[in-house]
Amino acid sequence: MRMPERAVVPQPEELDREFYRATVAAGALCMQHCKRCGTWTHPARYYCPHCSSGEFSFDRVSGDARVYSYTVSHATAESAWKDLVPYITVVAELTEGPRIVAAADGFKPDTVVIGQRLRIVTENKSEDFAFFWAQLVEGSSP
Amino acid sequence: MSTFNVSGKAAIVGIAETDYLRGAEQSILQMILSASMGAIRDAGLKPSDVDAILPPPGFVAWDEIAAHLGVPNVRYTVCPQMGGASATASLLTASMAIATGAADVVLMTVGWNGYSAIRPRPDARPNKRRFNAAFFETVKNYYAPYGLRSAPWWYSLYLERYAKYYNVPPEAAGAIAVACRKHAQLNPKALMRDRSLSMEEYLASPYITEPLRKLDCCVETDCAAAIVMTSVERAKDLPHIPVTFLGGAEGHPNRPDELINRKDVLDLGLDLAAPRAFSMSGVTKDDMDFLQIYDCFTYVALLEIEALGYAERGGAAEFVKNGNIELGGKFPMNTHGGLMSQGHCWGMNHIVEAARQLRHEAGAAQVRNCELGLVTGYGDLGDGSIAILGRGVR
Repeated sequence: MRMPERAVVPQPEELDREFYRATVAAGALCMQHCKRCGTWTHPARYYCPHCSSGEFSFDRVSGDARVYSYTVSHATAESAWKDLVPYITVVAELTEGPRIVAAADGFKPDTVVIGQRLRIVTENKSEDFAFFWAQLVEGSSP
Repeated sequence: MSTFNVSGKAAIVGIAETDYLRGAEQSILQMILSASMGAIRDAGLKPSDVDAILPPPGFVAWDEIAAHLGVPNVRYTVCPQMGGASATASLLTASMAIATGAADVVLMTVGWNGYSAIRPRPDARPNKRRFNAAFFETVKNYYAPYGLRSAPWWYSLYLERYAKYYNVPPEAAGAIAVACRKHAQLNPKALMRDRSLSMEEYLASPYITEPLRKLDCCVETDCAAAIVMTSVERAKDLPHIPVTFLGGAEGHPNRPDELINRKDVLDLGLDLAAPRAFSMSGVTKDDMDFLQIYDCFTYVALLEIEALGYAERGGAAEFVKNGNIELGGKFPMNTHGGLMSQGHCWGMNHIVEAARQLRHEAGAAQVRNCELGLVTGYGDLGDGSIAILGRGVR
């Protein structure tokens, strides 16, 4: 799967840009990681929400996740997605804790269930942005 | 325990709203000025009596409102930046200003061209000034690339979990849509007047993005509304029976600028605000004669009903059935038609309707002998606000 042509490619600033740059450079999802207490935070924050430390790095996460929520869009305000309806967007909860929005990679509306296991893969679109795909882990149950 | 309390100090004394239109001839500024002047006159006051302005959280600023209306001496201005929760949150802020003497007569107004903004006339320019909220960065960086550009798509990310996790039947959301539409038939200013809606029609409505059907979404309109508040002492000398602020609060989910990384994505600011507001007011949820609940989407209104304590989380379906939220039921809701069927005025229309009800001026939609009611706001990505209002000085 490829991110739809003409879909929004953001030009993030501040910590959002650092997050995406780390992910693009690694070719895999990276997350803000507190150097003091180890908390993973997304979106990234200047102070850790757990221990208030301002010391952090962006480190690679496992990419293992579960379906926390999702929506099936039957209509869209985005011209780039008009020919793709119905499309599924998931809220994926990573093993490390944070949740991200990701596009469903190839699976059908009637196969998605809350709690189901996912694998998150990234598609680099610019030096500042990677698109996230959620793939169902076969044979998994919620 | 905080002793903070401004119950019974200030009252709504003037109300006004424009028509709810799809394609207004007037600019946003003109509509806001029209509603503001209307509310000032309704209060029996003049622009020069106003000494505080709480402007909308976007589009139009306090200084141009003051300049155009001819308010010569603004002593206080502030704006809760909470989108659809701003209007109701401003009732608490205004009451605090009045109770402390920081202000005497407070003008609050909201308006916009919610319909025309995305369907401009050929000679119209787009709005230059929008809302100042950080969540737009979240949307742009993390939701929009996935085809989730505007509110129904963002909110579906958590509303589908609500619907699925708690097995919320579509008929529960439908009960909100049907009640609002039914009440709109009684309101000469409702956009959806003369367009009835049955549960069958609701259930046949196509999905936009699950769980939201087209008829779960409020109507885009061009409109403005305004209210004026002053002290209960001064209110006694003004033309209308005062509508007294008895309690109110704002609340914000943690974290407020993003939707999906809260501990529980179903946490609303209203969960935190409602107990504080009831505590201040000295009355309870069961004392309410009506509920004006911010209804940008039916499912959001269900969550608010739960946050108010009328049902456990996931249990609003029981509360809304069998006409309980319709006129004649125990807790008539959105007696003007709400955002769903009157029009989207950022909840200021809910406050105007609450005041109209408590003055006993609601015409065919009047809740007979009503004495107490509440208004809620919901904004941006879950900000909440609430005000509890009573008829007369109490």
